[in-house]
Amino acid sequence: MHDGRFDPSGFYEFNLTGGTVRTRAGERVVMLSEGVLSALVEAAARDGDLTPLRRLGELLGEQVLSGLDRPASVLSAEAVLGHTSAVTALFGWGRLAFERWGPALVIALRDKPELDEDELGAAALLGGMFSEISQRQVSCVPTGDSKFIMVDFEVAETVWGWYKDGADLPAIVGMLESKRAS
Amino acid sequence: MSNREDRLRSLLDKVRAKRPEERTTHAADALERMRTASGTTAAAVAPSSPPLPPAAQPTPVPSAFPTQAVPQSFSEPQTSQRLESPTRYSSQPPRVERPLSVEPRTPSVRPISATPSVPSPSPSPAPTTRRPESIRPQSVAPTGQPVVYATDPPEFPRPKTFGDLLELTLSLRPR
Repeated sequence: MHDGRFDPSGFYEFNLTGGTVRTRAGERVVMLSEGVLSALVEAAARDGDLTPLRRLGELLGEQVLSGLDRPASVLSAEAVLGHTSAVTALFGWGRLAFERWGPALVIALRDKPELDEDELGAAALLGGMFSEISQRQVSCVPTGDSKFIMVDFEVAETVWGWYKDGADLPAIVGMLESKRAS
Repeated sequence: MSNREDRLRSLLDKVRAKRPEERTTHAADALERMRTASGTTAAAVAPSSPPLPPAAQPTPVPSAFPTQAVPQSFSEPQTSQRLESPTRYSSQPPRVERPLSVEPRTPSVRPISATPSVPSPSPSPAPTTRRPESIRPQSVAPTGQPVVYATDPPEFPRPKTFGDLLELTLSLRPR
């Protein structure tokens, strides 16, 4: 059984001669201030193209997978959460937690950078990350209070419409049912 | 103002009175030369160039993209300090024996909190007189606490793995 621990030591390698910063997986990263990132994400959300944020999430997901000795689907939720929250924190994206609301898995991302008002940037990032971790196309839809409900990408737009119409998280969960159980 | 300048100015006024459309005269030239040479004429009275019509006004340049440096006047520093030598920058980075690494503390893993979508009565200690009739516990009772057995199975079985949790949430569809 995987112990769920994540070793953050030596995660970043600073090469001052070359002027680069890389993760231990070899991915080159660039430090950005929150204000600069916020402006970029705001513009991307306005244009309706958050693909770069989703791609960044996929890269974080790859970092998570590289620390797992087995596929995430066979690990306990606590073990996956331990690695995912550690990688999220190391990249400065806040504190990540899992919540179960009935049958729904909800991702809470506290203390995240303040990006766009609708939290679509964080939603794209989480969607990319958990798609990579689970090896399936998933969507994380904002439901307010820094919480994102994880659903199949086919129903994501419907759920987003409910939230925009004023439904809160309990109401959204109440409007969903598991097709597997029925 | 000198007498010669006064005479030239009155002569210019006379000429202008006779031919208002004629603005350039020898007297005007002479007056201009005198003004330039001596600086005695008040330049502030007559602006050197008339204001541009609105169509000729320069287009404002966005502040983010300045095309030319904005002229600024810098006053001399009040202090008497002077730099003895400029700050020199070197492209040679400081010598580092080993790569820097970020070593935060190992983050604590938050337990998964399960909140039921349908409100249900919270499990309470079993009374000594009779057993509860129907209780649906939504969470595992902590060790050491009295375990309450449910007569009905819980509505949502606790997923054993992350894959189970994923399957459950991805199976959700609108009612």
